[in-house]
Amino acid sequence: MGETIISIKDLRKSFGTHEVLKKIDIDINKGEIICIVGSSGSGKSTLLRCINKLEKQTSGKVLYHGKEVRDIQKDINEFRSKVGMVFQSFNLYNNMTVLQNCMLCPRKVLKVSKEEAFDRAITHLKEVGMAPYINAKPSQLSGGQKQRVAIARSLCMNPEVLLFDEPTSALDPEMVGEVLGVMKKLATTGLTMIIVTHEMAFARDVSTRTIFMDQGYVAEDAAPIKLFTDPQNPRTREFLSRYLAG
Amino acid sequence: MENPGNSLEWMLFLTEKYLKMFLQGTWLTLYIAVIGTVLGFILGYIIGIIQDMKINSGDFFPKRILVSFLKLVATAYVEIFRDTPMIVQAMIIYYGIRQAGVELTPVVAGILVTVLNTGAYMAETVRGGIGSIDLGQREGAWAMGMSPMQTMFYVVLPQAFQNIIPEMANTFLTNLKMTSVLNVIAVQELFMAAKTVGGNYYKYFESYLVIAVIYFVLCFLFNKLFGFMEEKMKGKTDYALAVEYMDNQ
Repeated sequence: MGETIISIKDLRKSFGTHEVLKKIDIDINKGEIICIVGSSGSGKSTLLRCINKLEKQTSGKVLYHGKEVRDIQKDINEFRSKVGMVFQSFNLYNNMTVLQNCMLCPRKVLKVSKEEAFDRAITHLKEVGMAPYINAKPSQLSGGQKQRVAIARSLCMNPEVLLFDEPTSALDPEMVGEVLGVMKKLATTGLTMIIVTHEMAFARDVSTRTIFMDQGYVAEDAAPIKLFTDPQNPRTREFLSRYLAG
Repeated sequence: MENPGNSLEWMLFLTEKYLKMFLQGTWLTLYIAVIGTVLGFILGYIIGIIQDMKINSGDFFPKRILVSFLKLVATAYVEIFRDTPMIVQAMIIYYGIRQAGVELTPVVAGILVTVLNTGAYMAETVRGGIGSIDLGQREGAWAMGMSPMQTMFYVVLPQAFQNIIPEMANTFLTNLKMTSVLNVIAVQELFMAAKTVGGNYYKYFESYLVIAVIYFVLCFLFNKLFGFMEEKMKGKTDYALAVEYMDNQ
């Protein structure tokens, strides 16, 4: 097992009186492909959003290489530039072309040269098969194409970890495959990935570790082969049987 | 024209006789409206952005104090200027500044009033424009490590700007007409010109009708111009595939 990159320590999150995350402790190690599964409302997405501070946790800490990411803009920005995020709704910048989407943050956040940013953009757009579309605006692309661009855009930052928040949930069935294909390819490059997903087959085949969340708790955290074939927690069993039946 | 009879003849007579005065009035009206609106827009954007600022609990203490203070000032400013008539603002600012011992020409005071008034309305428009942009756009930038200010300038404002162009055009047209209230602080704009000309022959109806036509023509033309510009700014709807990168498909 590689070194620990992100440690989540006793993380809790409430929206008003409703506690959505209850005492979450997870270590994320270098090279891991972690899939987080669970029914809607179990806190998966909130956990992911708490990791990169899009949601402020109620208590607990997120450590990055052993150092706490404090609630200070400088800490948050630095951390986020190392931990990319791919959203369910893509969130490409609508006012920019595909190429500009990929070049903006390396230029403005990492301050790399224009040439360097361009090279990165082309390299990663080629990886996801979107290089011919550099001049297109997001509104001119299909959902699957948008998501592939969004993945390339995140890769342009050379992130240490990439978070995926239900990356295929907003896609038509035939587009799901193209995005999962890109993610499978990425998984072979050694990039650390945390993926919130409802794609059970993908979680089973691609992840190195699967986390099942239930009502704000980590109910089970195991290797996918174990979790999918021999779940220990009755809630996991129930959840999986519903999925496998449907 | 000699011995004008009906109203139309009077209008032509007055226009010919006082052409220079009407032209000067038109010029000053345009001058104040344009400068006042442009500066007002800038002020409005600044205020709108301040109102949208967020504070993190872990932020450096002086920064938190400063941002809270700026937000308070911004909110107070917007409320005060939106809740009082421009004509009253003009009087208070003009006489207030003179009373404080600073010599201010009516034109400068007029521009100042227009800027402050426009700024307050624009701040609300900008805030609405920012609010109309999907939160996902911001999250997409934040999640890549962009600061809130960078996010604002590169991602949110360009989109908000596009959305509020019609409202900005509207504000300019309003200002073009609202400069007429500045006659109360003796700015020699169009309304003042009509008042003066009308008084010379006791032909107020005809004199004001002349400037009504001028206001109408100005607003009509600007309206057409803004419509044309808006169309232009929509940009291309198609794009070219970059064939040089097609090989690995």
